[in-house]
Amino acid sequence: MVTARDFLGRDVLTVGEFRRDELLFLLDAADKFERVTGTLLAGRVVATLFFEPSTRTRLSFESAVGRLGGSCIGFAEAGISSMAKGETVADTVRVVQGYCDLLLLRHPKEGTARLAAEFADIPVVNCGDGAHQHPTQTFVDLYTIRRECGRIDGLKIVFAGDLRYGRAVHSLVHVLTQFKAHVTLVAPDFLRLPQEQLRALDEMGVEYREMEDLEAAVPEADVLYMTRVQQERFTDPHEYLKFRDAYTLDLKILRRAKPEIVILHPLPRVTEIATEVDNHPHAAYFRQAHYGVAVRKALIALLLGHAEKVL
Amino acid sequence: MIQPQELTTHDEESPLMPKPTQQVAKLKQGTVLDHLRAGTGLRCLRVLKLPPGTTVLVGINLTSKSHGKKDLVKIERYELSEAEAAKVALISPDATISIIRDYKVVGKHGLHPPIAFRGLLRCTNPACIVHTERIAGSFVVESRDPLTVRCDYCERSITADQFEFA
Repeated sequence: MVTARDFLGRDVLTVGEFRRDELLFLLDAADKFERVTGTLLAGRVVATLFFEPSTRTRLSFESAVGRLGGSCIGFAEAGISSMAKGETVADTVRVVQGYCDLLLLRHPKEGTARLAAEFADIPVVNCGDGAHQHPTQTFVDLYTIRRECGRIDGLKIVFAGDLRYGRAVHSLVHVLTQFKAHVTLVAPDFLRLPQEQLRALDEMGVEYREMEDLEAAVPEADVLYMTRVQQERFTDPHEYLKFRDAYTLDLKILRRAKPEIVILHPLPRVTEIATEVDNHPHAAYFRQAHYGVAVRKALIALLLGHAEKVL
Repeated sequence: MIQPQELTTHDEESPLMPKPTQQVAKLKQGTVLDHLRAGTGLRCLRVLKLPPGTTVLVGINLTSKSHGKKDLVKIERYELSEAEAAKVALISPDATISIIRDYKVVGKHGLHPPIAFRGLLRCTNPACIVHTERIAGSFVVESRDPLTVRCDYCERSITADQFEFA
């Protein structure tokens, strides 16, 4: 049986490190933390080391810490850190861990969070490492799906857009294997889910389908997870422009959808969801961004050993 | 010093190898890598980066009872370290290594790729943090057949044909 102690002092590097029962424990904790404010984290300091731009992840973490009475230090871009002077991530982590209780790290290179965890004596949370993983986004996505649909098990979930570089998709697809979800992957050939991910799905015996036609995939979806084409991961800008508008979800396409479909997007959105969809009753992407605070409040409190008073 | 004697291979079927009358080099001291997968002998040598001037005997596509074809490498006056043997194992997982001292085999065993290791390979993912931090790659063996390793940092899987040795 999972308890709050199972999270104490733990690194959060990839979703693969969390079992189904631990994930459900975290989602239950997020429910309980949603309305909690106060001084639970009084005197605790969380460092946000963001070597790459972020709006939702960083601000929702800072909001979570602030609402629980803790404080944040850190930087929001590499240019204002000592990295600009040539300092390694390892050295930055060794220094900053002396100023705080928890490290939140985002970096454009894959595997940076694991490297940081090797050098840090305090918990490290991966807030996105290149195209690799973004586990707390996955926790938020799972929370949103359960909250909006009432369950996760057995749902038909359609992912569409940049499945090659979208780390939110990589993490969520991986974790959905624990919930017997039926996965459909919609992407142009160039932006398909990477081979390792497909192989992992095969090895776990997960049913999935690959398609290129969004309209054909929409009618069966309980959840439609749209993603932005990740411009920053393309080395050739012409290649990016070729795929930027690969899919645009609009009300016309949604006419063929189940009435209870839930539309998600990790945001920011560019052209992949027309703004006319924003008022659709099941367009849940802004609520998804807001749920991030509850999930991150629960996670931080668990990692720092302050959750038991609430749970 | 290499002396002309029967080749001390363990496979007697190779045309380049041992008939009782055939005189080929026998090591006084050094290392014999046998049962290397055919076509991997020269790659092993490239990866090992032996000291300049080292005397080496290479047999390519020798007939082997157990493997059909094999390569063989004899290295004079040089005993491979564990790390070097591990590199060979990553290229040719079924090979054997024999350490020779004073013409006698003092140690012989099959090579097995390590379960987890650091520093032998470079991650082939250009976006992996190991390249910017200039740290040694760290890997776990994901599958032995076909040999595939996974980078501990970026979790990219790398198959044997893609290996870049450090």
